[in-house]
Amino acid sequence: MRYVLLLLSALLLLSCSPKEPLYNTQTYVFGTLVDISIYGETDAHAQSAANAIINHYNKLHQRLHAWQPSEISKINDAFSVGKSSSIKADVAQMIQQMTTLSTQSHGAFNPAIGHLINTWGFQSDAFLAKHVNAAKIQQLVAKNPQMIDIVIENNNIRSNNPAVKLDLGGYAKGYALDLGLQTLREHHVQHALINIGGNIVALGQHGDRPWRVGIQHPRQPNAIASIALPSGWAIGTSGDYQRFFDLDGKRYCHLINPSTGYPAQHTQSVTVMIPPQQNAGVLSDVASKPIFLAPKNKRLAAAKSMNIERFLIIGSEGKLQISQQMQAYIDWTNPKQSVEVVAID
Amino acid sequence: MTRSIINIKTTKQDHHIAKLTAIAIGLHVVEAMFPSPLPGVKPGIANIITLYVLMQYGFATAAWVSLLRVFASSLLLGHFLSPTFVLSLSGALASLGILYMMQHIPKRYFSVITLSILAAFAHIAGQISVVWLWLIPSAGVAYLIPVFAAAALFFGFFNGLVAKHLLRK
Amino acid sequence: MTKLIGKPLLGDWLVIIASIITIIFLFKTLWSNEAASQLKIRQGDTVIGSYDLNQTRELHIHGPLGDSHISIEQGKVRFKQSPCHNQYCVHQGWLSRAGQVAICLPNQVSLQLIGEKKPYDSLNY
Repeated sequence: MRYVLLLLSALLLLSCSPKEPLYNTQTYVFGTLVDISIYGETDAHAQSAANAIINHYNKLHQRLHAWQPSEISKINDAFSVGKSSSIKADVAQMIQQMTTLSTQSHGAFNPAIGHLINTWGFQSDAFLAKHVNAAKIQQLVAKNPQMIDIVIENNNIRSNNPAVKLDLGGYAKGYALDLGLQTLREHHVQHALINIGGNIVALGQHGDRPWRVGIQHPRQPNAIASIALPSGWAIGTSGDYQRFFDLDGKRYCHLINPSTGYPAQHTQSVTVMIPPQQNAGVLSDVASKPIFLAPKNKRLAAAKSMNIERFLIIGSEGKLQISQQMQAYIDWTNPKQSVEVVAID
Repeated sequence: MTRSIINIKTTKQDHHIAKLTAIAIGLHVVEAMFPSPLPGVKPGIANIITLYVLMQYGFATAAWVSLLRVFASSLLLGHFLSPTFVLSLSGALASLGILYMMQHIPKRYFSVITLSILAAFAHIAGQISVVWLWLIPSAGVAYLIPVFAAAALFFGFFNGLVAKHLLRK
Repeated sequence: MTKLIGKPLLGDWLVIIASIITIIFLFKTLWSNEAASQLKIRQGDTVIGSYDLNQTRELHIHGPLGDSHISIEQGKVRFKQSPCHNQYCVHQGWLSRAGQVAICLPNQVSLQLIGEKKPYDSLNY
């Protein structure tokens, strides 16, 4: 009997393989997929941390919405009539941070071009292919809305240029990553991965290995590469395959060049890796855009102005350019991937 | 013509065991003649005899019957010392091993069905080990293990039921 | 022997249930066709280490006969060269699926592929 019991218990033990302590939840916020993985916590604790993050996100989304009544739309309404509007401290901070980054990017990152984005039809959950009025685009560009037109004084905000219309589409997801990271730390979560619409930040690692992140191929339904994302690092991609419409054989993506008023058509995607820092999430969202929009021969300069050392650029013909610093992290899906490695000084 | 007769005292029981061994060999040979849909998956009906002998006459006799059956069948089928024979022998030895360990299992709770199932598992475990270590040291065998195991449970159970039925008489 | 007459006993059923659980477990572990993501290399009874399969790397594992040359190439692994006589391990070729194993008995080197559901935790898009 003893043997049998031993055998039975051995069999039962064998059949109950230990479950990996990985909690994963997916939800839709900011009009995109939010995917949170938490490792090494009890399901209950992981769930409460994830719920806290998602609650923050839902609130943030409502407050920052670009084309529905929100704190931002209220500010935009005030801008358009040259009036002043009250502003909450955290939103004021966001606007100051965006202004700094916009200046740093020489205006390539410009969250003040809400009117342009709206004209192109990207301020909608379901946008349609449409011919834009060239005269109107020209007019909007000529009005030159800039972040530096915005003045914040004593919890009040106004704009010296009525053409300024804030659209945090290129910033909010990154901000949310940083916020998520902070929430995780408040909940004493040590290992987690947050993915908001493709922008990812890592905390700790996945068991005994780093978190592993796949990088979407801009034209194929699979990852072009994967990287081990160390703790505190963020990764973000700007791609012409995320929000776009095809019209008359041309692709019009949501990444609009503020100086021309037209979507960039010479880049498929730009991925940047951001080392741990205060606003790594924001940078992962913002810093890829100036590189995406820059002309081919100015991409490296754009990366440099944003202090980006690790980047992967896929040009319109599918040509790959990767910085030496990023090459060290990447594992190509196709080991024979042809790629130009760029040395950054 | 002179006849030399070696006289060995045999009992009725000896005759009975000899008869059973003959039946086992017969079953083994018959089974070998039918092609198996998957190499290695066989009902192993000859094991019914082994189980019957084990319950009626004890482990030592069962071991004799089982091993005699393996050797005799392989000689009859022309497999002696071939891989088939080695597989057959390794399976039989592994089965006997587990039967030896389990022979004193409390009969109140466990019948010959348990013995049959465990022996069947041991049989495939023994065979797979030999295949893995000697014949085809390839991971491909791993994919077949679940199939073998399922077959072992199925046939082990039915052989056990049959053995149980025979033991009732 | 009277105890043996009749239907399967309680213990028999327990054995059958345990067997079914084991078989299900075997199917689950050995029949996963998922791509492997990690490689565990053993020499003798020691684990040499676990390696990410998503890389290109050459490894030399020292065994009693000499060095087994193992190459990892983006999701697959093989014995490239082996000091063993029969070369079974080399002929086995590339392994890429979770649960696959290659063993070089003479040199006591084994490769075991460990899988996960995804080759990465999350996708950057």
